[in-house]
Amino acid sequence: MNPLVLVMLPTLLGMGVASPWLRPHARVLLVGTALVVSVLAFVHALLPSSELWLGGYVRSDATSRLFLTLINPIFLGISVYVASRLTATPALHVGLGRFVGLALTFLGASNAVVLGNHLLVQWIALEVTTLVAAPLIVRPGVGRSRLASWRYLLFSSVALSLVLIGFVCLGRAMEGAGHEPSFFIDRLLELDVVGAGPWGKPGLALAIFGLGTKLGLAPMYTWLPDAYDEAPPAVTALLGAVQFNAALVLLLRVVQVYRPSNAALVTNELLTLGLGSMVVSAISIIATRNMKRLIAYGAINHAGVIAIGLAIGKGTTYGVLIYVISNAFIKAILFLTAGKIKAHYRTKDTREISGLIKDLPYSGVFLLVGTLALLGFPPFGSFFGELLILSALVSSGHLYVFSLFCVVITITFVATGRTIFPMIWGVSKKSQSWPEQTFLAGSPKIAFFVVLVVLGLYIPPSISSLLEQVAASLEGS
Amino acid sequence: MNPLLLALLGALLIPLFVSTWRMSLFGLGLQGLIMAAIAYPGLQPMSSAPSWLSIIDLALVRGILAPLALYTVLRAQGAPARNDVISANLFSWTLALGTILVGFNFSESLVSEAGESQTLVAVAVAGVLLGFLVLASAVSPFSQMIGALRVENSIALLELSGDHHSSFGLQLAMLAILVATIGFFRWYLATLEASESEGESAPDGLTL
Repeated sequence: MNPLVLVMLPTLLGMGVASPWLRPHARVLLVGTALVVSVLAFVHALLPSSELWLGGYVRSDATSRLFLTLINPIFLGISVYVASRLTATPALHVGLGRFVGLALTFLGASNAVVLGNHLLVQWIALEVTTLVAAPLIVRPGVGRSRLASWRYLLFSSVALSLVLIGFVCLGRAMEGAGHEPSFFIDRLLELDVVGAGPWGKPGLALAIFGLGTKLGLAPMYTWLPDAYDEAPPAVTALLGAVQFNAALVLLLRVVQVYRPSNAALVTNELLTLGLGSMVVSAISIIATRNMKRLIAYGAINHAGVIAIGLAIGKGTTYGVLIYVISNAFIKAILFLTAGKIKAHYRTKDTREISGLIKDLPYSGVFLLVGTLALLGFPPFGSFFGELLILSALVSSGHLYVFSLFCVVITITFVATGRTIFPMIWGVSKKSQSWPEQTFLAGSPKIAFFVVLVVLGLYIPPSISSLLEQVAASLEGS
Repeated sequence: MNPLLLALLGALLIPLFVSTWRMSLFGLGLQGLIMAAIAYPGLQPMSSAPSWLSIIDLALVRGILAPLALYTVLRAQGAPARNDVISANLFSWTLALGTILVGFNFSESLVSEAGESQTLVAVAVAGVLLGFLVLASAVSPFSQMIGALRVENSIALLELSGDHHSSFGLQLAMLAILVATIGFFRWYLATLEASESEGESAPDGLTL
């Protein structure tokens, strides 16, 4: 199967929604396309096919197969959530065509980042995801959301500019080493040393820093809580669970190609960004009283853990991948649940929300499960992933990092629990009539929950084998 | 020093001291046009599509379209003439001049042989750093846009210093991204001022 269909189908249909024939069917188009693309992503993962397509610009390898089977089903879950919201609240049909058009283009571009075999192609596709996500953050008539959208676009533009400067420098580094400058990943992997010399180090440092900013890592993370807070829940889930992973794939490719020639730089920079993010998120979680921001800071914490795992490299990659997959599903569950809770209580203030388990039992359970998974409790995949990262930190001799990691994660645990658990178990302050939650509305979150538990208890051999292949390719073994 | 590079350095620096939005936009446009003039000899003969695309990118989009897109919005809004892209004080000005020096010093470690290539890299690095100085100082969206576009222009200059040229398709895609970004900047500039006065008027439940 030609994987380009995963890019072209959603993109063309996304553009097609602008036509008066397709616009009335926007909801069906959204869910239908997401379903078809998810099935195709699984088919692509299961059936081995030729590695390179489109003159080498598109590549089908273990990493692309893994991330395609991750982001497309999550997009499908978000689409089902949107469809259920539309059923419950018909007034939301206003502006649906615009949402569907942008969301499908966003999916096509995200798939392009994952499939790209050329760093500049991936950069362009990531820019496209940013440009189509920015208007999605804006809620009509809500000025703050437009400001958050602007901050998102500004920070993303700056982050991607840094990445581009990094790539330009890395191209010059290749020239300096006597190679023909190239950004084709397969060709770069064939060379022993790329990215060395006076241009290489600043180039790589800027590329990693820029991608770290796109992932929401400290110090340039302030766009993330604003955007995640102000965007509609479905869009927040898209940013946190889909775009995050697209940006992560680009970071993985950069680390994969350039780590051999600059191992110390990669390790030190990612460790600094990761630890800094964990500390910043812990402090922010203590300070915030806003439910969506709290989850957003939790997401920064997770990004920090992933960066630390990537920094160590050998031995941690398998754990990092499990953590990455869990992180995507956790964020999708939590942000979609937060949307439901906000719609019920008409506030995001954690002090105003209490007794969720009685008022909104399904949402209460999902918030509880999502929070436990966020905090890395068993039996969820995040626990398993975190355990593997921690053991690798000890075995690689990074005991200071291990100690700081444990302290910060404990603070995060206490601070999050102190805020979230009274929301779930506290005395109901306000009970409102609310239409019963349909199975359709809860089904994406149930599916995400099942995946989280399966990842923690039993990883099917086919998935484990895929994870091992990705880990091996990223570790260069 | 090549007179075009000297002029480009002036276009980067002078708008920081003359604090009006018109001067900021004029400087931005001038940067694009000078970069086109710098690139032109290397693109000869102008027989291939990538060469024409480079000129369109530098002269038309960066030199004319970007400043014009923002100019029309600000003129329609009747924006006050003064606009400090960096704080109007001695400290900021010293920082700006220091940034130029840092750029020139840094270029010596990147390009060991003194000459035009080293100067081109020096001006590009200085441009990137000045762009970030503007971004770090700016509070208003307009000044932030100027900072972001300055960084974009300096990346284009840095690309001119190397031998690597992307394929036509990639060049076209990157140009499309730039045009879309400018379009978004224009839309935000036109709507952000109004959004500051808007409250949370939409009902909370009505969101996807």
